[in-house]
Amino acid sequence: MDILKQLYEMTAFGDLIANPGPLLMLAIAGVLLYLGIKKQYEPLLLVPIAFGVLLANLPGGQMGVVPGDLIDLGDHRYMNLFEIAHEYGIMNYLYYALIKTGLLPPIIFMGVGALTDFGPMLRNLRLSLFGAAAQLGIFTVLLVAIAVGFTPNEAGSLAIIGGADGPTAIYTTIKLAPHLLGPIAIAAYSYMALVPVIIPLIVRLTCSEKELKINMKEMDKLYPPKHKIKNLKAVKIAFPIVLGIVISFFVPSSVPLLGMLLFGNLVKEIGATTLRLSEAASGPIMNAATIFLGLTVGATMTSEVFLDAKTIGIIVGGFVAFAISVSGGIGAVKIYNLIAKKKINPLIGATGLSAVPMASRVANEIALKYDSKNHVLQYCMASNISGVIGSAVAAGVLISFLG
Amino acid sequence: MNGNFEIALQLLGIGMLTVFLILFLVVFLGNIIIRFVNRFIPPVETKTSRTNVVQPAISTGKMAAIVAAVQAVTEGKGKVVNV
Repeated sequence: MDILKQLYEMTAFGDLIANPGPLLMLAIAGVLLYLGIKKQYEPLLLVPIAFGVLLANLPGGQMGVVPGDLIDLGDHRYMNLFEIAHEYGIMNYLYYALIKTGLLPPIIFMGVGALTDFGPMLRNLRLSLFGAAAQLGIFTVLLVAIAVGFTPNEAGSLAIIGGADGPTAIYTTIKLAPHLLGPIAIAAYSYMALVPVIIPLIVRLTCSEKELKINMKEMDKLYPPKHKIKNLKAVKIAFPIVLGIVISFFVPSSVPLLGMLLFGNLVKEIGATTLRLSEAASGPIMNAATIFLGLTVGATMTSEVFLDAKTIGIIVGGFVAFAISVSGGIGAVKIYNLIAKKKINPLIGATGLSAVPMASRVANEIALKYDSKNHVLQYCMASNISGVIGSAVAAGVLISFLG
Repeated sequence: MNGNFEIALQLLGIGMLTVFLILFLVVFLGNIIIRFVNRFIPPVETKTSRTNVVQPAISTGKMAAIVAAVQAVTEGKGKVVNV
């Protein structure tokens, strides 16, 4: 009988019966894996995050990330990485070395920069302003979240989901409310994956058929742009350098994200001489960073952290932020159209989010449904790319005020 | 709570203003860079002398198809050196 009892104690069944939370988390990991693998919702991130959740909740696996106060030795002293690995396992080592330091989101931004083409934005610079209007959801939900009981730091982390930018949401949360990292990352990436559902829904509710039929190319013919770019390559090389310097003067806290984005973009635009750097930034480095980011963020989602009323608040609040951001962009276009001769398709406002290029592709498909000759992709990309800059600036503002 | 709400209201104003200001700067700087480049860094025209141009033995349409096929098969790594 004693042997059986010892066997039972050796297994994890006793713990699971006493505390069934991890079982629920394993089920959630299963759902996320299904969404990533079968439904292909942001699989590059959702699969590592889901597997991180799985690893963190395997009983006795020591793969769950422990709260920061356990590594705090007091008097602003912390356990070193060797001690963390020895005491709490390799997942905590990775989390505190790569995530808690804020290292991986800027690294991913560098890769995003190396994959970004500022060309469409430079050709339609005026449309960039709609990327600012689409950040409205961030600051509105911040207000609502505080009203329903979130602390300002938690509310800031929740609200940044409205920027529709995964690395930005993660970076802001690391700085402001690291204990909410798991649910916020999941919400941010889930809503980004749901862009093809959310944008058409908001557009249907807010735009008329006449507005959606506004043909941008026809408008360009009627009112041609003042300056034609004669040497696009030179403009594309100068742009990230000048912009990086100027933004750093105004919002210094956005430099880690935007600076790396612009560096990645610069090495891409220089061309053949820095091709290897650009390929490394957008390929192996970004892929490795994505794997570790996904796994470690997933590993923060232990049952004690995730099964909380705040998680529901984050999921609902994230959706509201996202929806207000899309509506904010559309609203700004509508206001602009009231006063300008050269009308703009409101779909361009709807893509002021930072979900590049999915938001633009979805908007283009909607435009083509109403008019098969109305290709708005290039125009949408202008506000879409400026949305990346806008959400990083919004994150910088939140961090400098609340951090 | 009221203090927090005030912070949130301040952030709504300051945040939106900052984002607009930065993207306005993006538009402004972009235009300045375009004008500067148009004026001082004109595009380099590549001159090709007639003697250097070798008439391809294969039609351009066929050549494009071969290049596209090689790129698709080699996932962009392969190059067509000679046909």
